Amino acid sequence: MLKDLGTPARSAIRSAGAPLRATGMPRQIRRRRTVLVLVILACFTLIVLDARRSAGSPVEPLREAAAGVFGPLESTASSARQPVDNLRDRFAEMDRLKAENEKLKQDNENLTQELNTSDYARNRAQELDKLLKVAPAYTMTPARVIGIGGAQTFSHTVTIDAGTADGVHTDMTVMNGTGLVGRVVRTTAGTATVLLIGDRNSTVGGRLNSSMALGFVSGRGDVAGTLDYKLVDPKARPKVGDRIVTWGSSGNAPYVPGVPIGVVTSVTPNEGSLGSTATIKPYVDPTRIDTVGVVTGPPARPPRAPLPGKGN
Amino acid sequence: MIALRIGLAALFLMVAVTVQTSVLTNIAVAGVTCDLTLIVVIALALSRGPEWGAIAGFVGGLLLDVVPPADHTAGRWALALAIAGYVAGLIRRETSSGPVGPLGVALTVVLGTAVSFFIYSATGSLLHDPSVDWGEFGVRLGIAAGYDVVGAIVVIPLVMWIMGRVQPARERRVAP
Repeated sequence: MLKDLGTPARSAIRSAGAPLRATGMPRQIRRRRTVLVLVILACFTLIVLDARRSAGSPVEPLREAAAGVFGPLESTASSARQPVDNLRDRFAEMDRLKAENEKLKQDNENLTQELNTSDYARNRAQELDKLLKVAPAYTMTPARVIGIGGAQTFSHTVTIDAGTADGVHTDMTVMNGTGLVGRVVRTTAGTATVLLIGDRNSTVGGRLNSSMALGFVSGRGDVAGTLDYKLVDPKARPKVGDRIVTWGSSGNAPYVPGVPIGVVTSVTPNEGSLGSTATIKPYVDPTRIDTVGVVTGPPARPPRAPLPGKGN
Repeated sequence: MIALRIGLAALFLMVAVTVQTSVLTNIAVAGVTCDLTLIVVIALALSRGPEWGAIAGFVGGLLLDVVPPADHTAGRWALALAIAGYVAGLIRRETSSGPVGPLGVALTVVLGTAVSFFIYSATGSLLHDPSVDWGEFGVRLGIAAGYDVVGAIVVIPLVMWIMGRVQPARERRVAP
C-alpha cells in the first residue's frame, strides 16, 4: 500500500555528503513512512472513538478544551470583522444609500415580523377559542455569531458567544428578528454550537399558517438554506406563498411554538405516493446571521388562563 | 531552534483555524471559505518536508474537527489534511532540491484541496453522514481550489519566508 508513497528523492541535507547518501536515504524514507502510518492510524482511532456517539465520545473533553481556547479567540477575531464587512459593503452599495437602506430594512423587518405572526396568532386564537391570552413572551438571551462552518464541511453550524454560563443548554431554540435560526446542539461554558435549520440533519415541526395543517420541515443542505416541507396529512395541499411557523415540541425543547420559519415557493406532488413536498425559502438568510436570541426562559407551558364562563 | 520552529508552526495553525472559522466565512464565495489551515499546512510541508506536512496536517485538521462550529466526527479533517500535507511534502522533495516555483505551489495547493476535500467527503459517506452531498462536490471543489490559490499567493510566501529564517545555517538551501 505504501510502496508508491515514498519514492527515493534527493534532499539537500543528505546529498551534501556522498557517504551519508547510501545509508541515509532508506532510513529517511522509512522514517517518513512510519510518520505517515502513525498519523493515519491516529486519525482512524479518533474517527472510531468519536463515531459511536451514543456511548459518550472520549473526544468530548478535547472539544471542551478547544472551545475554551478558541471561543475567546474567535470572539476577538469577530471584532476584526467590521472592516471586512465594511469593505464588502463598499463594493456592493454606496455610502449614501447605506443609512437609508438600513432604516428601510429595519421597517421592513418589523412589518414582516408583524405580518408573519399576526396570521398565525389570529388563527390560533380563533382555533383555541381565545384560550391563548397573548403570544407567549419568552425570555431571550442575546448572542453573537462568532464562527461559521464553511460549505466544505457540508454541515450548517455556527458558534455563538453564549454558553452554559449564560444559561444556554442543548436543545434550546435559537431565533433572530426575522425567524427561526436553529437549535443548540453543543454547549461549553462560554460558547454554544447551533445546528441551523438548513442542515440535512435538521428536522423541525412546521405548521401552515393558513390552514393550521401540520408537517415537517427538513434542511436540504444547500448554501441558501432552502428547506423541504412534507405535510402529515397527505390530502392537505400547501400553496405557494403560504407561511410556515413552528408548532413546538413538548416541553418547548428543542423548538418553541409560533416562530416563523419560511414561505412556500413551490409545490411538487410526491412521485409514487400521496401528498406533496413544498420548497420553503427560510426567512433567515443563513449566510447573514449575526445577532441571535436563544430562548432560555419561561413560559415552560403556553399560558392557559381559565376563561370566565357566564353559563356555569 | 527546533522548539522555536515547532512553536511557530503551532502558532500559524492556531491563527489559521481562528481566522478561517470567524473572519473568512464572512467573505465566503457561495458559502465556500478559503481553507487557510490547508494552505498553512502546505506551506509547512513545502518548507520542511513530508513528515512535517503529515504532522502539521494532523494537528491542523484535528483543530478544525474540534473547534466549535464543527459538529462532525472528529478525525475526518485530521486524516484529510495529514495526507494532503504528506503529498505536498513529497512534491517539494521530488521536483528539485531548490524551492518550488510559483506554478508548482499553485498546483500543489489545487492538488491538496482536491485530496483533502475528497477524503473528508469520502469518510463522511463511509460513516453515513447524511449531510455529505456528492452532487455539490464538484462545484464546491472548484470554488475552493480557486479561492485557495488566491489565499496561497499571500500566505505561502509569508509562512515559508518565516520558516526559512528560523532554519539553521547548515540546512539553508542554496538557490540553484
